Amino acid sequence: MRKRIYLFALVALLAVALLAAGCGGSKDAPKAAGGDTIKIGFLGGKTGAHAHYGIETLKGMQMAVDDINKAGGVLGKKLEIVEGDHGSNSSEAANVTQKMITQKVVAIVGDPTTGITKTAAQICQPAKVVLLSAGAVGTGVVEIGDYIYRDTLLDAVAAPAVTKYLSEELKWKKVALVTTTGLSYSESLTAIFKPALAKYGVEIVAEQSIMEKDTNFSAQVTSLSQKSFDGVIFTGYYTEGALFMKEMRKQGLNQVMAGGDGLLGQELYQLGEKAVEGSMVYAGFAVDSKNAVGITKEFIDKYQAKNNNSKPDMFAAQGYDAVMMLAEAMKKANSADPTVFKEALAKTKDFKGVTGTITFDANREPIKSPVYLQEVKNSEFVVKTVIPTA
Amino acid sequence: MEGVLSILTNPYYNQVLTMMGIFLIAALGLHLITGVTGQFSFGHAAFLSIGAYSSALMTIYLHTPFFLNMLVGGLLAALFGILLGIPSMRLTGDYLGITTLGFGEIVRIVFINTKITGGAMGLGGIPKETNIAIVYILVVLTVFSLYRIQNSRFGRALAAIREDEIAAETMGINVYWYKIKAFAVGTFFAGVSGALFAHMMQYLNPSDFGFSRSFDILNFVVLGGLGSIPGTILGTAVLSLAPEFLRFVKEYRMLIYGALMILMMIFRPYGLLGNVDLVRVFRSLRSRGAGKGTVSGDS
Repeated sequence: MRKRIYLFALVALLAVALLAAGCGGSKDAPKAAGGDTIKIGFLGGKTGAHAHYGIETLKGMQMAVDDINKAGGVLGKKLEIVEGDHGSNSSEAANVTQKMITQKVVAIVGDPTTGITKTAAQICQPAKVVLLSAGAVGTGVVEIGDYIYRDTLLDAVAAPAVTKYLSEELKWKKVALVTTTGLSYSESLTAIFKPALAKYGVEIVAEQSIMEKDTNFSAQVTSLSQKSFDGVIFTGYYTEGALFMKEMRKQGLNQVMAGGDGLLGQELYQLGEKAVEGSMVYAGFAVDSKNAVGITKEFIDKYQAKNNNSKPDMFAAQGYDAVMMLAEAMKKANSADPTVFKEALAKTKDFKGVTGTITFDANREPIKSPVYLQEVKNSEFVVKTVIPTA
Repeated sequence: MEGVLSILTNPYYNQVLTMMGIFLIAALGLHLITGVTGQFSFGHAAFLSIGAYSSALMTIYLHTPFFLNMLVGGLLAALFGILLGIPSMRLTGDYLGITTLGFGEIVRIVFINTKITGGAMGLGGIPKETNIAIVYILVVLTVFSLYRIQNSRFGRALAAIREDEIAAETMGINVYWYKIKAFAVGTFFAGVSGALFAHMMQYLNPSDFGFSRSFDILNFVVLGGLGSIPGTILGTAVLSLAPEFLRFVKEYRMLIYGALMILMMIFRPYGLLGNVDLVRVFRSLRSRGAGKGTVSGDS
């Protein structure tokens, strides 16, 4: 019995020590808050399922903060990033968002995913802290309130621009439309493509639906083989996209496909190999080494110098732009108070970022230009063209 | 006292403690199933999600009062608990574990593919009703009712089932029905916890209720000490606060969290408070304090 009590006491002591350590750590925070820095929070997973998005966003943010601080900071103060890693877990995301707010951040950049952005938005809006997501593309995000923003390329902006290009430049007149049913991303993208195709006079000659995690598409492709069309609009993810193209080649169909950033992943050509050569994917940012100019080129060079020559992706670029937009809004409003500079942020017009120009419309939704249309060439994504949006 | 007040008014501490309270209710429910009755359930998060979605949908579409919705969420979870219990409570051990695991996945997939729950996009626009006071009043109620259950004839029957099913059966306990009843009570608390979670987060996504969430809750119960209410409370407190307090070590956080779990399992295989009867510990301490030297003889 006595031994048990000792063991219990030991464990209890450890638990108390843990608590004390934690409290000690967080008590330091208010001291720093009184200093002369402007704090910007980073919300994202540095571990867990979406770690890649989070890490890249943070890299982009850090570069922006370094650039701003080198140029003298904002309103005479230096910017500082407060990291909020939630391990890709939404209930932890709520905790960490709340924590950053008590650490007096004026704005939070994140989360790269739509779901966690919505969770964090519910906390930021009543707390009057600006949340600028550098990745959320789903619906129902900025509707949460006037402190919530995003700087991503929305499908509603990109898909019509791409359709116009397919119709006018590539002379696509007839297409087959393939949707992944049960996948909300795919269904909503299809709903955007349909009116766009109609607008630019492209006829949908066949519609096929597939399921996520399907691996055999012979029935759908056989049905398509009886129609004539110029290309496939594929609104699903890369795994199914790659396998679908493989089946088409197997049945002797040589059309290429075009789709959204759901197809953007090296798995597309790793899995699809020769079958996906020539397939097109659009995204809000891509490295166009030959034609990049101005701040975009500077950003790419700087990123490559810092990261062993690897190319920056969309998340890093959007993270960079997010911090730059916040800084500009603060300068314009001449205030680092979120209740004040959010007005300036909402009025952002033709902001020149590394991903292109960004304007917030009346509903605070981003209208971005251009769209980067990439093509698979020799098992690599190569920028095919850069399409300005209307 | 001032310290306590500042913790309650600091929104971050408030948030962390509220979340802890919410998961504590779910863990206490699982405690009755796994700790007291000895039945493994790997699908507890599924019952959380049933309570969460049903109460949230009621709040959004029917505008009924929160407490009613919470109650309905709990009862609905219990109903599914019974429905799942009827076929699966005939199974034991690993088989039951696998069945509940499968059920958890089914529920998650159903929520992903249903229109009214927002599917994979999640369900937003849930008003905030949960606060720290409501949560902790319910925690106290849960602890009290579980304590009463555990020390009733029903509770002792459940403990008998855990210790030896055949012996319990011979003593005239209807093992099958007792297990289902325990499952119903346990899943009811999961449903209530889910309702609180929904009205705290204000946004639900089926991925919040995956296997890892079930496993988290099981960890709270097992690491705290199977069959012990104070153990479950301690386990939930340590494991849900540890990731927050370990934030200062950044990337090493989950590493230390994992190491903490391994150490606990090596040194306390029955959980932190497993095999420790707190009431007896306090009594022996008191008698030692009063009698000075009259140490109880069972050391």
